[in-house]
Amino acid sequence: MNINEMRQELVQHSGGAHALAIQILGNVDDAADAVQDALVTALTRPGAYDDKKGQLKPWFLRVVRNRCFDLLRRRRSSDMPVEELVDTAANPEQALDITQRDQALKLALASISTEQRQIIVLRDYLGLTYAEIADVLSIPQGTVMSRLHRARLALREVLKGYGE
Amino acid sequence: MVNKTYGIDEHVGELLSGYLDGELTQQQRQRVEIHCDACAECKTNLKELQALQESIGKARLSEIDQDVWRERMDNVTVRTTRGIGWLLILGGILAAMGIGVYEFVIDSSLGLVEKLIAGAIYGGLVVLFFSVLRQRLIERKTDKYKDVEI
Repeated sequence: MNINEMRQELVQHSGGAHALAIQILGNVDDAADAVQDALVTALTRPGAYDDKKGQLKPWFLRVVRNRCFDLLRRRRSSDMPVEELVDTAANPEQALDITQRDQALKLALASISTEQRQIIVLRDYLGLTYAEIADVLSIPQGTVMSRLHRARLALREVLKGYGE
Repeated sequence: MVNKTYGIDEHVGELLSGYLDGELTQQQRQRVEIHCDACAECKTNLKELQALQESIGKARLSEIDQDVWRERMDNVTVRTTRGIGWLLILGGILAAMGIGVYEFVIDSSLGLVEKLIAGAIYGGLVVLFFSVLRQRLIERKTDKYKDVEI
């Protein structure tokens, strides 16, 4: 893959990577910084990605995730208020475009654990396979299904509590 | 792929998620389908999980669109090339300063006292320059009002 192809593909994956970073960092702006840093890593060291070892998307998501954890370590606290996960960057005009369903979903996501949020976003929002999820999260492939199922059940219960 | 087996009356549990995601073997898929035909609870669970999956797929979890990311990526390129430029300029200045100091030290037309005095003056200027530079950089990094336009 040449650098221009890589750039084109990274643009397509950046929005999804941002969604994942928001779930980890709990803050829209910090998440954008994490994705930006990952883009710098990817574009200044394109040789770090080996297309024989897998797709660019899971590789880039892993870089973004690692960057998020670097930022969390620097912040020295992974605790985040729930409301920070819900459209802190949205102005009133943007807020009008966001459906109530999305808002409820974001609130519900904020109520489950970071690990559960990540695995749900990786599968149901970004469409990764179990093998790719295992690669991004650095967990055995055999545990993906059970973790994902528990996460979905937890999310469903929270949403039921909201009267969905 | 999980090879966990379930009894004929046992709820299929996590296999429901594997079924939704198309990650089961044919045998496991059939097991889920047969069980859900007979078990209202698992059938309801499957429908609810499917609805949940669809709503997450349709949600907008990031508000930044591709044009913004493309612009940011261009900024990365600009920043990288600018960094290389600064590195070359600083490297050139340091090399020139090194040569200047070397020429100054081996210059036999000046006495030791004159060299020490000139060295103290130039050394003091360099120390002051880096001290002010350091202070400015710290202020720039920690000033929370730096983006406020007056």
